[in-house]
Amino acid sequence: MKDFNLNTKPKIKTGFQVPDHYFELFEAKMMEQLPKKEGKVISLFHRKQIWISSIAAILLVMIAIPIYFNMAKTNTLETATLETYLISEYSTYDIIDKLTNEDIMALENDLSLNDDAVEAYLLDTQNIDYYLNQ
Amino acid sequence: MQDEKVFIERLLNPKTQQESFRELLHLYQKPLYNHIRNIVLNHDDTDDVLQNTFLKIFQNISKFKGESKLFSWIYRIATNEALTFLQQKAKKTGISSEEVQQNALNKLESDVFFDGDEIQLKLQKAIAILPEKQQLVFKMKYFEELKYEEISEIVTTSVGALKASYHLAVKKIEEYLKTN
Repeated sequence: MKDFNLNTKPKIKTGFQVPDHYFELFEAKMMEQLPKKEGKVISLFHRKQIWISSIAAILLVMIAIPIYFNMAKTNTLETATLETYLISEYSTYDIIDKLTNEDIMALENDLSLNDDAVEAYLLDTQNIDYYLNQ
Repeated sequence: MQDEKVFIERLLNPKTQQESFRELLHLYQKPLYNHIRNIVLNHDDTDDVLQNTFLKIFQNISKFKGESKLFSWIYRIATNEALTFLQQKAKKTGISSEEVQQNALNKLESDVFFDGDEIQLKLQKAIAILPEKQQLVFKMKYFEELKYEEISEIVTTSVGALKASYHLAVKKIEEYLKTN
């Protein structure tokens, strides 16, 4: 075959053909295919998710607030009831009976009474004879 | 084209978007068609790739940072779409991209949208023996008559390397045409 020089004119063409009116039709077809609002498909999904999350969060708060206050109220009532119960049902002697020697020792340590304080108390108290006879 | 920045703003503005995109289509559909057709060879495949290219341009125009020219950015999308198309077709049929191209080449003679003579067909066959990047450079320079600077921005390769690549491609093609 003869020598070819690609740098000479005219150049060799591709030989590719395009169907009649292809570009006019392509332009119309492409314009129809364009999404109406760019990227909104994703945002709609996200918006739905946000709505569901918001409703769930509100419901959770609505349920949690009454539960929290009810529990706080119940605790106060329980303390009061316990105190009333102890005062009405137990005398000081009953409570002493329930204490062991270790408990009494621990209480003494906690109170840290010294002899002077005990003496002063006894002098101020009218039932000194009673204590002396115990 | 008018100032690119203004044109991109119009493409992003919902009020002017349709009108400016039509303008972009008008400007680019023919050169991009030729560019894609040179890579995938078949008209129907080119039509598919061209649609995907314009959809990608439309969807990603907000991400265009203006670091390169709009022209190069658009051509880069088209090139990527065409090469990805060949790779996907190869994957689907379990053959290499080169074989896909060879098959397309073999079908050219019976293609109603190819009216090339013997020389034109031989040139296509000669191009097919080149490595992928050399093919791309040769087609962009010889058929599409793009400047080296433009090709350089599209394929992100230096002008010097492109010139070397083109001359090497020309040499190989001329050699092929002499011996076949």
